[in-house]
Amino acid sequence: MVSLNEEVIRKVIAEVLAEMVPSPEAGKKAENPSSPKAASSMKLAEKGAAEKSSDPRDVVIGISPGFGVGFNETIVGTPHSEVLRQLMAGIEEEGMKPRVVRVLHTCDVAFIGKKAAELSGSGVAVGVLSRGTAVIHHKDLPPLGNLELFPQSPLLDSETFRAIGRNAAKYGKGENPVPVPTKNDPMARPRYQGLAALLHNKEMRFVDPKKDPVEIEVVFER
Amino acid sequence: MAEKKRSKRFQVLENRPVHKDGFIGEWIETGLIAMGSPNDPKPSVKVSGGKIVEMDGKRREDFDMIDQFIADYAIDVSITEEAMAKSDEELARMLVDINVPAEEVRKIFGGLTPAKLASVMDKLNIVEIMMAMQKMRVRQTPKNQAHVTSATDNPVMLACDAAEAAYRGFAEIETTVAVFKYGPLNALSLLVGSQVGRPGVLTQDALEESFELEIGMRGLTAYAETVSVYGTEGVFVDGDDTPWSKAFLASCYASRGIKMRFTSGTGSEAQMGAAEGKSMLYLEARCILITKGAGVQGLQNGSISCIGVPGAVPSGLRAVAAENLLTMTMGMEVASGNDQTFSHSDLRRTARTIPQFFPGTDLIFSGYSAVPNCDNMFAGSNWDIEDMDDYLALQRDFKVDGGVRPVLEEDVIAVRNKAARALQAVYEELGFPPITDEEVEAATYANTSKDVPPRNIPEDLKAADRIMKEGITGVDVIKALAKRGFRDVAEAILMMMKQRISGDYLQTSAWIDENGYVWSAVNDPNKYHGPTTGYQMSPERWEEIKNIPWAIRAEDV
Repeated sequence: MVSLNEEVIRKVIAEVLAEMVPSPEAGKKAENPSSPKAASSMKLAEKGAAEKSSDPRDVVIGISPGFGVGFNETIVGTPHSEVLRQLMAGIEEEGMKPRVVRVLHTCDVAFIGKKAAELSGSGVAVGVLSRGTAVIHHKDLPPLGNLELFPQSPLLDSETFRAIGRNAAKYGKGENPVPVPTKNDPMARPRYQGLAALLHNKEMRFVDPKKDPVEIEVVFER
Repeated sequence: MAEKKRSKRFQVLENRPVHKDGFIGEWIETGLIAMGSPNDPKPSVKVSGGKIVEMDGKRREDFDMIDQFIADYAIDVSITEEAMAKSDEELARMLVDINVPAEEVRKIFGGLTPAKLASVMDKLNIVEIMMAMQKMRVRQTPKNQAHVTSATDNPVMLACDAAEAAYRGFAEIETTVAVFKYGPLNALSLLVGSQVGRPGVLTQDALEESFELEIGMRGLTAYAETVSVYGTEGVFVDGDDTPWSKAFLASCYASRGIKMRFTSGTGSEAQMGAAEGKSMLYLEARCILITKGAGVQGLQNGSISCIGVPGAVPSGLRAVAAENLLTMTMGMEVASGNDQTFSHSDLRRTARTIPQFFPGTDLIFSGYSAVPNCDNMFAGSNWDIEDMDDYLALQRDFKVDGGVRPVLEEDVIAVRNKAARALQAVYEELGFPPITDEEVEAATYANTSKDVPPRNIPEDLKAADRIMKEGITGVDVIKALAKRGFRDVAEAILMMMKQRISGDYLQTSAWIDENGYVWSAVNDPNKYHGPTTGYQMSPERWEEIKNIPWAIRAEDV
């Protein structure tokens, strides 16, 4: 059971609700992806078009269009810097090389994961949304297939992201790891689905169907 | 900031479970509105040369792919102008008027556009929607569907829980996975378990579409429903799909003799950020007409996995009931939701089920959790097995057929034990990782997957791979069961395989009884037209519902 930080949730809800006041400016404000409100403890620098790697040790982390720019934390307040730190550390622990790519044409975690896997030298990728929803994908699986899926974003904590990184690396090495234990909280939906819908509608503003994935350099600031 | 003095009463109220639910305000520009968005199109239709040339304020050349599909395949052109000329009020009254036969309503409504359908629904209050459901559902006898899943994909638990669900009376049972690659093994557990519990129960393995089709063709599942359609082009395209591709997939199932229905539901477009500012019910009306246009026999709707979205906005649960009613009115089977957690409040979750439970639908739940919700891999259902005695009491309190029956503990233990042993035999015959006697014993008496010993997951997954790679089918399962003395179970599965050839269960709203006889809207059509007509509980069924084992009997006191 994840301990929920009520304060953070209330803050997010308040922020989102504040933006719902229908004004002609409301839509425009959130549309600037280079807003200085970027994640506090890391920098995400765009490094041009993401290429397909031929390095068999390459494991890609595909982040969603608004990850770390429009949003700084997951639905339960885990900072995006922490999400990437844990995923990358998990991959490195297994002797593989993490590479971060931002997918811009969709906000669907399955398609983000699939796209990232197609760019990955090992053929394996992790896809992750701003609110925390994650998937481990393989380039040869159909888009709605997956190696492991973590659909309940409120249940994903640092430890789980670490384990996801580790397992992605293991699949990349051709191993058959024990799947990350699935968490299940039947009450996550009643509590968070409305909020998740609000957050998703906000993240959709960062989607550009015409844009290809871009390579991201991550610099952690502490 | 000075501490505000608080009312003790308000402090009590805000600690009630309902305050844990996520309520949100309407947000019209993103479609977070249940019914009647100011952005919904005004209903209209124009026909020229036998074709719809204008629909809901849009000319044919401006149609998106969904408009085109609906205009060309779903709306009855011969009657559309006459039907659309009627007022919303007149059409709404036809739905509840016992003197207007369902067939006549269906004929007129077959000519209505999505915007008109949504607008008519907005004229009905919740009781009128329920009255209309009682008349409009296609099959007369209501039934129920269950979820059977395991948090650890434990094959023995799945077989036991499938057997118990079937024995308790569910006509269809559905599984999915915690780990994707367990899919084939979960299908196998449900097949064996269900036919131990009650021959004829249909089973499903909700996963990725191509996998579902393949495993259905192998005879390891009997139906599919996780073929999703959406009300805006944006969401369709995001999923690499079109109404035509979904229709093609539907025909793949039909041609292989596998029952199938589509899935849709209010809130999905808003949840995926592509509602184009339209109301949830208007978009759902489009989904219902896509399904009708594709020639599919039925639809799972009632918001389904997005229930937290309509559940969070005003009049959302009324919209959810209205979408069920629209599906019935279009002449299709409805598996009517109630299948996902949406509230912390026992009062709210009971009330959410009333609009389907009291009038009855083809399948009242499209997933009553026949396992405790901690094991529910659909992320929890609105009701679970631990609520079962409450559910049985409600059937009895109101003399309502909710599709399940009271059972005795010793009978359930026997059925679970037999299912576990049957699966043990199949695993051994197929050379899969053994199921020990200890596991059989634990699963027989278990409540959740935590009550059984853990499996070696990587080894199980190799067996799952083997099912797919070696082409293992229902026939292999039949052979294994027959060889190991489970002849009755083998015969039940053989009977299910024969259904693929006869195809009777592809008729609208079909279920199969324990003798292999198919019941559907064809031979059990809903004839409700007022009191004493329509579904009348038989004396035997009423006896069954009355006799909850824990009621005190006069003769025992």
